[in-house]
Amino acid sequence: MSAHKVTVEYDDKTVRYFFLAAVIWGAVALAAGVLIALQMAWWPANLGLPWTTFGRLRPLHTNAAIFAFVGNMMFTGIYYSMQRLLKTRTASDFLSKVHFWGWQLIIVCAAITLPLGLTRGKEYAELIWPINIMVAVIWIVFGANMFWTIARRREKSLYVAIWFYIATVITVAMLYVVNHLSLPTSLLHSYPIFSGVQDALVQWWYGHNAVAFFLTTPILGIMYYYMPKACGRPVYSYRLSIIHFWALIFVYIWAGPHHLLNTALPAWVQGLGMIFSLVLWAPSWGGMLNGLLTLRGAWDKLRTDPVLKFFAAGVTFYGMATFEGPLLSIRSVNAIGHYTDWIIGHVHGGTLGWNGLMAAGMFYWLAPRLWGKPLRSVNAANIHFWLSFVGILLYVGSMWASGIGQALSLNELTPDGNAAANSFIETVKAIKPMLFTRFLGGALYLVGFILMIWNLWATIRAGAPTTTTIEVVDEDKPQTPSRFPAFLNAPVLYTVGVLFFCIVWILASVSNSSLGGVFVIIGLIGTGALTLGAIAHFEVAGKTWAEWYDKLLEHSLAFSLLSLLAVVIGGAVQIIPVVAQSDPKSLGPYLEGRLQKVYTPLELAGREIYVREGCYTCHSQMIRTLVPEVLRYGAKSDQGYSRLGESIYDHPFQWGSKRTGPDLAREGTVAGRGNDWHAQHLFDPRLLEPESIMPAYPWLFKQNFDKSVLYARINALRLLGVPFAQMSPAEIETRYDTQAKEIAESIKKDYPLITPDKDIIALIAYLQQLGHYEKTEDVKKSREEETRHLDLP
Amino acid sequence: MSSPQQNPSNQSVADGPVLRPHEYDGIQEFDQKLPNWWLFTLYSAIIFAFGYWFYYFQSNIPVSDRDAISAMVQAKEAKELESLKEINDETLWKMSRNPQFVEAGRAVFMGTCKACHGENLEGGIGFNLADDAWVHGSKPSQIFHNALNGIPDTGMAAQGGAQLGTQKIIQAVAFILSKHDPQHMRDIPREQEPTLKK
Repeated sequence: MSAHKVTVEYDDKTVRYFFLAAVIWGAVALAAGVLIALQMAWWPANLGLPWTTFGRLRPLHTNAAIFAFVGNMMFTGIYYSMQRLLKTRTASDFLSKVHFWGWQLIIVCAAITLPLGLTRGKEYAELIWPINIMVAVIWIVFGANMFWTIARRREKSLYVAIWFYIATVITVAMLYVVNHLSLPTSLLHSYPIFSGVQDALVQWWYGHNAVAFFLTTPILGIMYYYMPKACGRPVYSYRLSIIHFWALIFVYIWAGPHHLLNTALPAWVQGLGMIFSLVLWAPSWGGMLNGLLTLRGAWDKLRTDPVLKFFAAGVTFYGMATFEGPLLSIRSVNAIGHYTDWIIGHVHGGTLGWNGLMAAGMFYWLAPRLWGKPLRSVNAANIHFWLSFVGILLYVGSMWASGIGQALSLNELTPDGNAAANSFIETVKAIKPMLFTRFLGGALYLVGFILMIWNLWATIRAGAPTTTTIEVVDEDKPQTPSRFPAFLNAPVLYTVGVLFFCIVWILASVSNSSLGGVFVIIGLIGTGALTLGAIAHFEVAGKTWAEWYDKLLEHSLAFSLLSLLAVVIGGAVQIIPVVAQSDPKSLGPYLEGRLQKVYTPLELAGREIYVREGCYTCHSQMIRTLVPEVLRYGAKSDQGYSRLGESIYDHPFQWGSKRTGPDLAREGTVAGRGNDWHAQHLFDPRLLEPESIMPAYPWLFKQNFDKSVLYARINALRLLGVPFAQMSPAEIETRYDTQAKEIAESIKKDYPLITPDKDIIALIAYLQQLGHYEKTEDVKKSREEETRHLDLP
Repeated sequence: MSSPQQNPSNQSVADGPVLRPHEYDGIQEFDQKLPNWWLFTLYSAIIFAFGYWFYYFQSNIPVSDRDAISAMVQAKEAKELESLKEINDETLWKMSRNPQFVEAGRAVFMGTCKACHGENLEGGIGFNLADDAWVHGSKPSQIFHNALNGIPDTGMAAQGGAQLGTQKIIQAVAFILSKHDPQHMRDIPREQEPTLKK
């Protein structure tokens, strides 16, 4: 073995690029947020233009905050800390450049397409398919660059921050690819391959874990580097790192269905979503504890060092949000919180509190090191802190009040218990002051952020880019011990075994098979026996288990494979059975006796407009299995709660996640409003409801819908399993025109000049179609009829 | 999880925090044992999870929300059918002369019906309800029926299940009738009622 000294220069140029991008996009994301908050409080802020209405800007705000702001912030933090923790320069400057510029290009494309109404109609997954491919490619570039760097490391063992980075790269890739599987119909348009409940489940498996693996795990990794660096104290507990890391990444994946509690999602998946969310509480708090307790012995520094102030508050908000999350996942609590502002408050506690404050702390810590001058103004940083803090409290407090208040008011029944006591608009009127307070809170936060930009800018102007080099002893690689013992050993085998038998039990207890009972018993006995065996074995040989983990940390490949295994299981157990069972062709029990009617060409066109305008950002299409909800939206036996089969042909599903306006699942049946009502309401909602906060959509009365796209779209949907009849482009157009003329005729009294080609006609057709379904027994009969006819000679 | 030999400066976790020997870019790690209260929340959540799953998906004891709601809807439908028997032209006219009913009805009307039928029943999107033209029938029971079930293919929404419930609809109809004279309305010749154009 020979050793020689080498000098390593870290690539901090890439870090500086990402740093500046994060700061700039952060301001854009926050500004967009403040604007849409104002639109909620004061509808004229929608400006009457298609590209500035809430429905189009809300996706812009969420995508900018998640992918542009936190994305660039995460890359800043990772590129800086990874090189130092691995004692090597990033593997490839070229890949770093491709990563940086590719990511910024994606953001610019998103910022152009979203206001234009080009969207996939799924939350945080709105970007159109060509951009999806760019994201996937750039993410792989990032992953390749990172794993290559890990492979070239001079530090034998992987530090906890790197564990979180690895889990992030692997899991985001998996989630992003599966949730963006689409069938393109043109360069700018595609349909998700999943529909209805399948799409809902995949979407929230992704949506929830975008929070977990894009907004949480990378930031935890960043916390594990920057927190001990900033306070100069050792990390509180290594073993807590181990337990909370593995528990967190394994459990998080199962929690997605808590976004779909009390909906048409099969009850057993809801149950899994709820209990795993509760189990998630402790692992999340493990991260908070390791962050906060690292400060032990350095608390006095909080008075003087704004960086630590931001970190301590950020981690505290993380703890608060991860306590509130499990709370909201309890089905009865969720019945109140879901679809209301409470969720919006919860999310912003996490994003403004955890992500935003951690980002600010990291920026303040990094700027002096990247540009070689002390921070221009500690006072300004302190003011920024208090502006952010008060802003968040105003934001979260007003959203709690608004969400819980509105939910209680919506759920109130008349004294006889036969109907909802308050109309929807009365509850909207009541929350208007809270919506304004939220805007103020957001605005304060933005002001603080701008103050930070000035402070950083002044620091950077005074300094100059620094270079950091270290002297390391480069040893020739000693023989790597075999990989297999690193991940094939007692603790891993026990864990895999227990999980296997648990899953056997879970699936057997919800299966209709006659063998279900046998498998339940096998699952239970296996789980119990292996758990006891593992405990007994640990009592005897626990020491070697600890040594095993130290060995695993020297094998990045084995570590990554185990991480992948941990994050694959949850989604597979939930998604595969639901996709298999809810196939509409089978007419099985999962459809709950109802099958959605296939759209006419005009209705499909209307649906495209509904998605384009982002109606799903404010309206749900899902009547939950709750008494007040059923009473409000239709309490007859042919109405009631939304059955799974009623939206099974929807690519993408439009169940929604927020009710700023009322539910629309039965808009075409129970609500029974006329075409003229819808026309007036969409032209200006305040003609019919003076207190409405909905934007006006006058351009729907000017624009024509381009019918030529329908042929490709109908064919694509047929390919995905929606039983559209075979139609030539001419037939499609004829059907479209016939139905459109009827509707144009019906609104002639108020809108004599509206031709059948206008967007508004198609949208009305879609709204009037909502809630129409067939009974599966009737469908079954007519199908049998058909086959009988075919059998005849 | 390091053995004491690797940490000569610290005897055991119980005696104090073990500082692990390894250092990453100057960062060191203690190896504090897991806080008991934290382990307690973790274990209780896992035990609760098993219990919850067993109770809801194994024991067959609880009634599913879906079944409970379907039963509720059926009971409500039955009750409504029962109460509808007592609503006829005579009772509705009586209610329309009862100030309490009319006052309650005014509130319902101003909340729900005004947008289409006008503040003074003069009409708008919906028909005029103050004049003698009754396109869908002038009998109180017909008016009630139309409010409850709506009129298909028109702007008239079904106010029954969706928003109001029977009680409030009865009140609203009483309010409308309070603007009319019973005798006069009975005397409107049937043939003068225009037929509905589709």
